[in-house]
Amino acid sequence: MSKKPTAGPALHKVIMVGSGGVGKSALTLQFMYDEFVEDYEPTKADSYRKKVVLDGEEVQIDILDTAGQEDYAAIRDNYFRSGEGFLCVFSITDDESFQATQEFREQILRVKNDESIPFLLVGNKCDLNGIRRVPLAECQQRAQQWQVPYVETSAKTRENVDKVFFDLMREIRSRKTEDSKATSGRAKDRCKKRRLKCTHL
Amino acid sequence: MAPQPVVTGLSPKEGPPGTRVIIRGEFLGTESIDLIGLKICGSDCLLSAEWVSPNKIIARTGPAKGLGDIIVTTRSGGEGTSSVQFRAIGNHEIIGPLKESAVWIEEAPTQNFAWGRRTLVQSVLTQEDPLGLSTEGNEQKNVDNLRELFPSSSGDLLQENFSPALFLLEKHSATTFADLKVGLKHLNRKVESQKEGQLSFLKSNAGSVIDQLDTMMNIRDKLLEDLNQYGPEPLNVLEQQIENSISKSEDIFTDVLVRKEKADSTRAVLLALSRHKFLFCLPNSVEKKAAAGEYDIVVNDYARAKSRFGKTEIPIFRTVMEEVDHRILQIRKQLHEKVIKMPQSVEQQRKLIKALISLEVQQSGSNINDKLRNADPAWDAIDARAKYLEQTFKQTFEQYASKDAQGAEKSKNRDPSQPPNRVAFCEEICEIAASQLPDLWRLGQMYFTGELRGPNDPRPGDFKRMILNAIEKFCIYLKIAMCTTDAEARSLRQSVGLIWPISHGSHDIFKAWLPQCLRYTRITYATLISLDLPSSALDIVQKFIDETRLHCFSNIFERATQKCSKLTDLETWEMGVEDFPGATLLPQRLEDLLIETLDEAQQACINPEIREGNLLETESDGQREVSLRLQKMLLCFCDVIQELAFNSHKEETPTHNVSQLLGYPNNQSSGPASGRFASLSPSTAITWEQRMLCCLANCAYCNKSFFHRVGKLFERYGYPLPSLAIETARYSVNKLFSNILDAYVEHKGDPLVGTIEPSMYLGGFQWDIEMPIGNLRPYAHECCDNLVAVYSEIYTISPALLRSILEPIVLTISEELARLMSCVPQFSYSGAIQANVDIRLLRDTMRIYTNETGRNYFLEALEAINPPLNAEQMKQADEILEHVKERMKLQLMCFFVKEP
Ligand SMILES: Nc1nc2c(ncn2[C@@H]2O[C@H](COP(=O)(O)OP(=O)(O)OP(=O)(O)O)[C@@H](O)[C@H]2O)c(=O)[nH]1
Ligand SMILES: [Mg+2]
Repeated sequence: MSKKPTAGPALHKVIMVGSGGVGKSALTLQFMYDEFVEDYEPTKADSYRKKVVLDGEEVQIDILDTAGQEDYAAIRDNYFRSGEGFLCVFSITDDESFQATQEFREQILRVKNDESIPFLLVGNKCDLNGIRRVPLAECQQRAQQWQVPYVETSAKTRENVDKVFFDLMREIRSRKTEDSKATSGRAKDRCKKRRLKCTHL
Repeated sequence: MAPQPVVTGLSPKEGPPGTRVIIRGEFLGTESIDLIGLKICGSDCLLSAEWVSPNKIIARTGPAKGLGDIIVTTRSGGEGTSSVQFRAIGNHEIIGPLKESAVWIEEAPTQNFAWGRRTLVQSVLTQEDPLGLSTEGNEQKNVDNLRELFPSSSGDLLQENFSPALFLLEKHSATTFADLKVGLKHLNRKVESQKEGQLSFLKSNAGSVIDQLDTMMNIRDKLLEDLNQYGPEPLNVLEQQIENSISKSEDIFTDVLVRKEKADSTRAVLLALSRHKFLFCLPNSVEKKAAAGEYDIVVNDYARAKSRFGKTEIPIFRTVMEEVDHRILQIRKQLHEKVIKMPQSVEQQRKLIKALISLEVQQSGSNINDKLRNADPAWDAIDARAKYLEQTFKQTFEQYASKDAQGAEKSKNRDPSQPPNRVAFCEEICEIAASQLPDLWRLGQMYFTGELRGPNDPRPGDFKRMILNAIEKFCIYLKIAMCTTDAEARSLRQSVGLIWPISHGSHDIFKAWLPQCLRYTRITYATLISLDLPSSALDIVQKFIDETRLHCFSNIFERATQKCSKLTDLETWEMGVEDFPGATLLPQRLEDLLIETLDEAQQACINPEIREGNLLETESDGQREVSLRLQKMLLCFCDVIQELAFNSHKEETPTHNVSQLLGYPNNQSSGPASGRFASLSPSTAITWEQRMLCCLANCAYCNKSFFHRVGKLFERYGYPLPSLAIETARYSVNKLFSNILDAYVEHKGDPLVGTIEPSMYLGGFQWDIEMPIGNLRPYAHECCDNLVAVYSEIYTISPALLRSILEPIVLTISEELARLMSCVPQFSYSGAIQANVDIRLLRDTMRIYTNETGRNYFLEALEAINPPLNAEQMKQADEILEHVKERMKLQLMCFFVKEP
């Protein structure tokens, strides 16, 4: 009975953040188990882990689904610390949730202290385009301002669900290889390089 | 065997004992009873486990601490693995029901089930064999037999009814005797040692044994005392007390329980209230927001509430939700009213419709929606807008029309520089159309592009019809206001039932404003064009504009024609036409007027603006109108000339400045004859002849070149050559010419011819008397002089007219001579010569201005001389004629200039 998966496939730690009710859990469950939960049950902190094949290579994804409800805001710092990449989710039908992404972003940057932490801005519930409250242009503008990708998903129709997780894992993976190179090479150049890349973007 | 269970998901991943967790993974059992084991952090949770699906189990965590795996065991797949871990948090303070607390603390959920049903208490003491022997191999097979043999005995050393035999049979039936003996020795030794031990134990503990004895004595005393005091059964009292305290404690406990329950429910309510404050405030907040017009917030909040509580089973939430649903329904009603309320901006309408549609979408499917169906709010809004537009048209029309109706009197002393009410109306209605039609169209666009579409299909036909109607109405109102004839107004009244109350004479005032109205219409038209309307809609306006342009054109020309008729006053009798001497500046005035008019027309209406027709297409109404208008104007011009020729000088009588042998010689002719003058100054009185001649010259000029020039002018302005109008005008002007000519010739020729006879027979002269010859007779001289006078009069004005005027005069002279001669019965010898000379001189002199008939008359006159001249007479006559011609050469030379 092997307990902890020790050395073996690479492990990428993803954290779902965003306001309550935007569909973080729904996205996670859709990705993990291909199921869509209609009921809303506020999350405290859920943990998921499974093996997936990322570009032909077997890896493990660890998803920490955090609480969106304000009641649990205080314990977020602890969770964020362990994350290697973030899916920052809001609902395109709820402008408040969109505004809240700003706070999440700031909290993550404060905890991680890294401007280029793998991060995707995710506009969920795109199947409800009819009652859309956040204009696409505004989302894209914010993503551009943060220099992160913007993707619209639907946990209901499964649109782009795999995409956001896989895209984020790719970013995490490339960050890791970059980091290991940097540590093996000239570690101090890292920041410079990244800054250059940013201005390029 | 099925695959091993794997746990991949945990919700939540940490919590105190008793936390409800959802475990997800694969192969977690094929059915409920397939699940045979569940451990979370090492504590068995199978009892609380609820199997949901092969992918999902819900359970409560047990009393454990720290991080641990979740191990699921199934009958079909065996023991599983876990890729996620649960962190049990143990240091939570657990507040029981009896512990008072000043604050609300999250209580551990009551765990009213046994932890781990396998963990039974192992109360059996493992006892060493009393003989110190191994009991292995002594499995008892016939326990029942032994029981029968020893019914009331036990093999257990600790029991009262211990039977050594049974013990041996039970435990040592297979032990050898030697061994048993060794065992006995062992037992003895043990007993021995215990005895020794007892003694030494007592010795060493003598003090405490005595103490114990004392204590027991004390107890006995106390007991006896109690017996005295409480009777033989003191325990009853105790029991009573205990029972009392039990019931007391139970009371306290139930009380606490009740309190706890109350507290629990209060707390739950408080918690629910604060957590779902949003929901509970919602019914009021949506109403407040709706009242403040912040409908998007209402939509948003409602959507949030719907997604959170839409399917809730909790009754209180459901009632609140029902209330919210109900209020939203009211808001929808209000919204619908607001949507169709006019006036308001499209932007506002759009916002309202959007809000309404999303509220409707959110309520669709639920039964509350059945209570209200506004099928298609956007369509209703369009409809309302269209109706409002129509109504605005109508109101505006009525408002302005009534001003004209009541103000019929006032309008008389109205400031003429102020636009009439009709113009103001045109301006206003154009503004209305230019502002409201685009709004309507934009709303329609939004509707058809789907932005505002409800669940129903759009109705493109209706909408197009609506736009066309609105535009048609617009054009009709304009048409009614722009009517310039009563007939037109009447026919419009017949077709559309409306009429502008027109006071007498206001048409004429209005006509001048027509271009202004056209301008307003065009501005609106440009706005409409920029909207991308269907061309059938634009065509309506275009048709109206083209009509109005033509209308304008006609008016401009009508006004010009009126001005033309006033040209009479502008005639200065100044002759300034280079290529036609005698013609005055009058045609030039007409040309100026035409240029001015054409310029005006060009600017006002002829130049087609964007998306307008060409009015001047050949064979079009426009062209016909142009031709007609020009013709009218030119004919008017002819009338002007006629007026000038005949009517402008009634008070003056034509001067008979013919020299008469009977009266005094008239010197008036000497004035104008003093040379060719370029202008007849208006201050000097203009003679009748000069006027007539100028008019004749003007007629001739018009016929010859001026009217063609007018044609060219039109061509230069891009009009097709109006040949029909020009030819008609030329025809009229020619007729006028001959009329004036007749009048002139009559006035000039009659006295001239009339004097011949009296002058001929002056002083009792008779042709049959012999007379001195060698000269002209005075009558012939006089005739020549008179002709020269007429000639010079014409020549000073317009040499081109000489032939036209002189020819008829000469004709009458020749005719008169022929008549006179034929009336002479007898000529004397010298008389015949004289008559011959006179006639021939006149004939030869006027040769150029004599036509065929004239020549015949002269011949007739010559042949009338009776008896005819013989050769001698002829010779003499020739000589005399030669002589006279020589003498009169200078005087008569003018008649021989071929092209003066
Ligand atoms: N139509 C639609 N509904 C969705 C979608 N994603 C989530 N939902 C619904 O939104 C509600 C909330 O979804 P959750 O996934 O529980 O929200 P959450 O972000 O995990 O919320 P917290 O756990 O409180 O942070 C649920 O009723 C879902 O059914 C989506 O893509 N489309
Ligand atoms: Mg959640």
